[in-house]
Amino acid sequence: MKNQFTRRSVLARLGGAVAGVLSLPAARAAKAAVQKVFVSSGAPRGYDPSKHKWLMCVDVNKCIGCGLCAEACKKENNVPEGPYFRTWIERYIIPKPKPASGETRGEAIVDCPNGGMHGFPEAAIPKDQIEHSFFVPKLCNLCEHSPCVQVCPVGATFDAPDGAVLIDPKYCIGCGFCIQACPYGCRFLSPVTKTAEKCSLCYHRITRGLKPACVEVCPTQARIFGDLKNMAPDDPIQKFYEQNRVQVLKPHLGTNPRVLYAGLDKEVR
Amino acid sequence: MPPQILRLVLLTLGIVGSFLMARAVLTPSSFRQYGWYRGDALEEIASRTPVYAGTKSCDECHSDILQKQAKDAHKTLSCEGCHGVSREHGDNPDILPVKLTGSHCIRCHEANPSRPAWFKQIIVKDHYSGKCTECHLPHQPTQVP
Repeated sequence: MKNQFTRRSVLARLGGAVAGVLSLPAARAAKAAVQKVFVSSGAPRGYDPSKHKWLMCVDVNKCIGCGLCAEACKKENNVPEGPYFRTWIERYIIPKPKPASGETRGEAIVDCPNGGMHGFPEAAIPKDQIEHSFFVPKLCNLCEHSPCVQVCPVGATFDAPDGAVLIDPKYCIGCGFCIQACPYGCRFLSPVTKTAEKCSLCYHRITRGLKPACVEVCPTQARIFGDLKNMAPDDPIQKFYEQNRVQVLKPHLGTNPRVLYAGLDKEVR
Repeated sequence: MPPQILRLVLLTLGIVGSFLMARAVLTPSSFRQYGWYRGDALEEIASRTPVYAGTKSCDECHSDILQKQAKDAHKTLSCEGCHGVSREHGDNPDILPVKLTGSHCIRCHEANPSRPAWFKQIIVKDHYSGKCTECHLPHQPTQVP
């Protein structure tokens, strides 16, 4: 035992340990460099997140409820089968008030069969009893003050500098706090990856100059996608602002969403 | 300095030091690049390959159809909305995109009280029992073939 703990051997081991600790960051840097070469091979070049600010405008008067957006989103983002949606369409049916009830309108009936992906069945009430009926496409509301980001304990979900609210799948531990925090119900726990998932604004598309898949396939341009930092004078977003009075969902929560709706009814939350 | 205080100070320094060291080693270098998250995650999320090719890439070969379409009621439709995901077709024209039949027209044009009134709708069973394309050109719906 005496030989094991001579001053020389202790000093040598200490030196080795210090050298080991010092070499770790170097090894880490090397690993990061190697990762960068391989991982980023498919990444778009020359995209600077600080030079964009994305937003989405939805014109409810134009939505025909075809469900192409919800279907395209599933295909584009490989969203798991079943009741999991990054974007979906809700149908609102507001019946006429009962005669002599003293009410202005009946209680709204809201449904969303399979996210609206395959259209909508016959309305639950006959046509002559309907006062208003309309479709509302929903997606991540791109909050400026995102409740989901505030509650994430591991820094896996974040507001990117370009306004997209994203999830780092490598950091997400699947605790589900963000799913409860989102006031718009835009998140779900993926049964495949066991991490939280949500609309990423098709980040892999917009960074390449493409439109998000839902905007791409929308046949009536009910969804308009734009960049607040690079607005042309004849930008569709500009036109949307000029032609419509816009509104956001749940403004009282102070989340300050960047998904703007035109033609919303008070029943829509 | 009393030896117990010295021991306490050394222990504290050791704990704090090892925490700082562990943090420096375990935190990815891109953390805090933009905020309290991994900056590399942006690039990783962006590196996925898009599925829908986009109308711009259809325009490279089929600009004649797109020009015709732009003059008619279906000008706002994207190619892949009806023809399906066509990325493979773009890379290799021999792989044909999915052709859609009349059921796809009905998807939008079947009458539904929830659809906006300005939108052209038909009650299919009262309208016609044959094929849509017998009377309507899909790219120029107001014209008769």
